[in-house]
Amino acid sequence: MATLSLKDVRKSYGSVQVLHGIDIELEDGGFLVLLGPSGCGKSTLLNIIAGLDETSSGDIVIGGRSVSNLPPKDRNIAMVFQSYALYPTMSVERNIGFGLEMRGTSVDRRREAVARAADMLQVTHLLDRKPANLSGGQRQRVAMGRAIVRDPDLFLFDEPLSNLDAKLRVEMRTEIKRLHERLGTSIVYVTHDQIEAMTLATKVAVMKGGYIQQLADPRTIYERPANMFVAGFIGSPAMNFLRGRLGRGKSGWQFMAKDICLNLGRSKEKLEEQEVILGVRPEEFKVVHHDIAAAFHGKIDVVEPTGPDTMLTSLIGGQSVIARVGPRFAGRYGDDVSFTVDPTSVNLFDPQTKLRITW
Amino acid sequence: MFKSNRSRRLAADILTYVVLCTLAAFCLGPMVWMFLTSLKPEADIVTSQMQYIPTHITFENYVAIWTQSNFPVLITNSLIVTTVTVAICVVTGTLAAYAFSRLVFRGRNNIMLGYLLIRMFPAVMMIIPLYVMMRTVGLVDSRFGLALAYTSFLLPLFVWMLKGFFDAAPKELESAARIDGSTRLGAMVRIVLPLARNGLVASSVFIAIAAWNEFIFALMLTTGQGSRTWPVGLQLMVGEFQLPWGVLAAGGILSILPVMLLFAVVQRAMVQGLTAGAIKG
Ligand SMILES: Nc1ncnc2c1ncn2[C@@H]1O[C@H](COP(=O)(O)OP(=O)(O)O)[C@@H](O)[C@H]1O
Ligand SMILES: [Mg+2]
Repeated sequence: MATLSLKDVRKSYGSVQVLHGIDIELEDGGFLVLLGPSGCGKSTLLNIIAGLDETSSGDIVIGGRSVSNLPPKDRNIAMVFQSYALYPTMSVERNIGFGLEMRGTSVDRRREAVARAADMLQVTHLLDRKPANLSGGQRQRVAMGRAIVRDPDLFLFDEPLSNLDAKLRVEMRTEIKRLHERLGTSIVYVTHDQIEAMTLATKVAVMKGGYIQQLADPRTIYERPANMFVAGFIGSPAMNFLRGRLGRGKSGWQFMAKDICLNLGRSKEKLEEQEVILGVRPEEFKVVHHDIAAAFHGKIDVVEPTGPDTMLTSLIGGQSVIARVGPRFAGRYGDDVSFTVDPTSVNLFDPQTKLRITW
Repeated sequence: MFKSNRSRRLAADILTYVVLCTLAAFCLGPMVWMFLTSLKPEADIVTSQMQYIPTHITFENYVAIWTQSNFPVLITNSLIVTTVTVAICVVTGTLAAYAFSRLVFRGRNNIMLGYLLIRMFPAVMMIIPLYVMMRTVGLVDSRFGLALAYTSFLLPLFVWMLKGFFDAAPKELESAARIDGSTRLGAMVRIVLPLARNGLVASSVFIAIAAWNEFIFALMLTTGQGSRTWPVGLQLMVGEFQLPWGVLAAGGILSILPVMLLFAVVQRAMVQGLTAGAIKG
């Protein structure tokens, strides 16, 4: 059973349409990440799921029940906000228990539930404090405590980590993943950070301009992006795009450009001879020292060691390419360099439509 | 260098104090004068020689105004009118300000602008039509009618002031409360009002003082003992042939006492800072 289904959800503010027919299904216990650049409509979609905002058309089903006409309090959801939105006048304990208080849970059961949630998030020692006296990370934990204490059908997170510093962000990311695994409750999580999306999601919806560009598991999104926007948005450094031509060679289809001749190793597929864009992830490049096997020939432009590996920028037939190579790479500026690539790892895109060519 | 810097700062300090003291003297001077006058016997007030400090201190003026005039009635009327005005403004104004701050509806900006516009008309222009309206519904010369008249120009002010405080309270807090199980109104009462409490107090005090001191509307809309307020009553004590300075001064002092009392009580609430920093990390 799906915990959440969105059916052709549309939203306009006045004459401006910000969501164009969103269709999403999230399986029970799934972790859906809405990923996209700022202003693409992620928060709007999340607020619509929460009931804080109304749809212009379309239907929302949570736990098998259409909730489109229900106020937020009757949707059995919990939400964690970017600003945490802790009630400043209440203690941490009352903040966490407020949802139960509103639902008329008895004081004893409330205290018990708050204690359990506080324990799970290690904020028991903070229960008497006011939010103003907490650090950013502690506020984040309290906000999550407030969400889990009610045991909802669905958690909603709106960029929960973007107000934290880098170290704390990684820590809390792990915490959220642990929480999801322990509780098994479905989550919808908004972020513009592709690393968060890749690490947390069971399903990613990449959005742009109010459209879903691709809805798939993180691995598919990474390896088989539906179009060049998704391909370029996910991964750091970004996927390399190389212009060239698709042609028929002796042993099947080939990608050809200046100083590049990559055997795609497939003969039967229905491809056309046409201009294409080849997409190659930086880590797919392998440096080779004997020319015969090499598909790419160029000159080293910049060498940037990062510790675990080295970022190598090369010029291949006038096109700049970034490769992630081993930490002990020894080349220097101006040296000749050759690469191979596993042809099954590459993607081809149509330069006109920007869509991936399936083969 | 260091020295000249210091002396320059000293000069600036002195200048600041001179300006502030002058201003304070201007503001407090009439009050002090009124207070001193109220303590003098009638014979010491109108003299050929200016007498600054009273030589015989007496409370006969206070006794006179409290027992020999209708001053207690005037004060009671003022208290009632002010209380009713504040009550109407707080209840309807809070709801209105919240709606203006949070909801999107047609004409929202125009209505807010209209509220501002009302403040631009001189009071005399409003009084005559208001008088006609009040007479039609039989509210002339009633305390409730006067309170309604005050509401007509104080409520817009109240809404504007309070809307500013509501705008400052983060919307996400109410979103959180609504998800936690509150209705919209519940979220406003439980979450936003406590946050805007100091603003609410400040705005209420502001309109209370305005209603308490108001003169022109009270003069026009009240005709008898039953609803006359103290500013009008004091004015009417100025007779054609006599000017009871001492008694009037005593009345003035008595009528600012409630205002001072109010300030003493709410000052703490105004000063207590909003719980800043609780929202952003
Ligand atoms: N209340 C509103 N009125 C008008 N436009 C809005 C409103 N809220 C959001 N928008 C617009 O909708 C678009 C999507 O906003 P949002 O969902 O907040 O983006 P994201 O969270 O992805 O950064 C933006 O272009 C924004 O300007
Ligand atoms: Mg957003």
